[in-house]
Amino acid sequence: MIYAFLDEDAKKEIRRAILKAIAIPGYLVSFASREMPIARGWGTGGLQVTLSVISPEDVLKVIDQGSDDSVNAVNIRKFIENVTNNETTTETEKATLIQSRHRIPEKPLKNGQILVLQVPEPEVLSNVETDSAKQKDMHANEDYSKLWVLLYEDTAQFGDSRIGSRYPVRVHGRYIMDPSPIPKYDTPKLNKNEALILLGAGREKKIYAVPPFTDVEPIKFDDQGFHIEEFKDKRCEICGASGVYFDEIFDENDNPHYYCNDTAYCASRKGNL
Amino acid sequence: MGYVAVKGGEKAIEYSQNFYRQFFYRKSDNNFIINNLSFAVDKVMSEGGLFTKLLSAEAIRKSGGDLLNASFYVRAHRSTCQRTGDARIVKTEDIRILRRISSAFKDIEGGQILGPSDDYAVKLLLNADYREKKYKNFNKSDIYLKSALTTLRNNNLVKKIEKDNQIWDITRVFPNPPYPRSAVQQVMSRGETGAMLAFAYTTMRGYGDVHPTIGDLRIGYAPVYFKHPFLEEEIKIGDIEVTSCECVGSFNKDQNGDIKLTTGFGFCFGFNETKAISMSILDLSLYNKSYTIGEKHIADDFEIIMFHIDGIESYGFANHFKLPHYVTFQSDLQVFDNANQFNKKEKK
Repeated sequence: MIYAFLDEDAKKEIRRAILKAIAIPGYLVSFASREMPIARGWGTGGLQVTLSVISPEDVLKVIDQGSDDSVNAVNIRKFIENVTNNETTTETEKATLIQSRHRIPEKPLKNGQILVLQVPEPEVLSNVETDSAKQKDMHANEDYSKLWVLLYEDTAQFGDSRIGSRYPVRVHGRYIMDPSPIPKYDTPKLNKNEALILLGAGREKKIYAVPPFTDVEPIKFDDQGFHIEEFKDKRCEICGASGVYFDEIFDENDNPHYYCNDTAYCASRKGNL
Repeated sequence: MGYVAVKGGEKAIEYSQNFYRQFFYRKSDNNFIINNLSFAVDKVMSEGGLFTKLLSAEAIRKSGGDLLNASFYVRAHRSTCQRTGDARIVKTEDIRILRRISSAFKDIEGGQILGPSDDYAVKLLLNADYREKKYKNFNKSDIYLKSALTTLRNNNLVKKIEKDNQIWDITRVFPNPPYPRSAVQQVMSRGETGAMLAFAYTTMRGYGDVHPTIGDLRIGYAPVYFKHPFLEEEIKIGDIEVTSCECVGSFNKDQNGDIKLTTGFGFCFGFNETKAISMSILDLSLYNKSYTIGEKHIADDFEIIMFHIDGIESYGFANHFKLPHYVTFQSDLQVFDNANQFNKKEKK
């Protein structure tokens, strides 16, 4: 089998799309998404991006929902390992290439690292405009009024936006993009991140990017602060960490318990204790 | 212009059916179909609305593997079955579990039970390495679990929908709007997987609620209790294979103005995860108006779901176009001719 599964022409096409995406931060670039041996919606976009940019010296980390051990992460990591023979790791700082679903690692990323996010719904306007031709016009005209109306209606009714994860962000002062379903907690990490962030949506056939050190801001009214998920006074019951994103787990008596969601971060702290 | 009418003479039809039997309906064993094509059998039972593996296998054989046609055979057969009464309502807590997962919660009572699934298999036709490992830690004891959403329900965080006083039976009377929920559930439970998936997909892609989370998806064996005609007490008459799915959507205001999480429910015969998930999403969309702004959507329109989700009906109608339509087409052509003449005159 060929190195990294995809044929060289496919990789070339995807790399060109990635280059265009980097050149226009937050802009959705179409690409001819290939059929992958995992189902659509399971990370085929991220997988195609990863397989197109990976080179033999890369060290790979795969995360799903904050964990390196969840079924989908294991599955994707094993597959990439099998078709590349690349070294893999769970340690964020050791990895040169990280494919992730729903989380940005707790440990800050460094320049030279690439974070690939799997994206289920790349078009930020799809909630408010279903016609893709109109969506394109709206992006071209920087017309995001419908998003602001949605934000206003939610705020009027519920005090804040009802959007939990995948909170819309403006990239480099121009395009508003869907940051993939990361929690709001991770949204500020997108801003001026040292790593290159590539976002791949296989089912919807789109690639987009946030280059290193780029401004990324959640959309918000001037008089409304951006509120991330809070876990006040909570500590991880394994490593004692606070101020991180937690998994809230209920025991048989419905009592909540808190553990670091980023299992690699938790393990690294535990190793240092 | 001359058109030759397609006439189906009695003899011709008879020959056609013999030919069909020779061409598509060769000897094969129903047990082979039951054991090797179980998802096909389950799809047919579910859409046929009758729990019978043997007859479903027979139907698959007779239809040459056209599963909608097979469901059609089963549903037609169902019409010949005498109704003897109603079984006790199946509770999802009583399902003896083969597989149960929740994507809403990482750790749930009873745990995530992957059971038999090829969801995580890398789908390569020619590389068998992935499947050769023997499974370990296989639990042989029976597992019964309450829904993973029970904690949310106990804390009164979930919007409740009123129960129907009487369970509707769509096979006896089809309701008029407003449709009782039990009727809507039945229509969807017998609905065609592909149609349901397509409608549910519209709401996932932006014409509605957008990305629900699976709270509790389970496949397993549900006991069926039935009142004995002479003993007058309920006895277990068997287990049926079923799939059940509860999904959680966004939050919204309930009738009292309280903010509650919205949920949807899907339930069908056989192991049909895609169908149960799609059904729960449609249930969620129908009873909780759009999360997004905009006009009416496909998946929250009762009329669209009630009348377009049924595979047997849409299959039948789509195939009726194979019948001769020469009378109506003749009249269409005359209208066309007249319009054409008129247009030519206008152009001059």
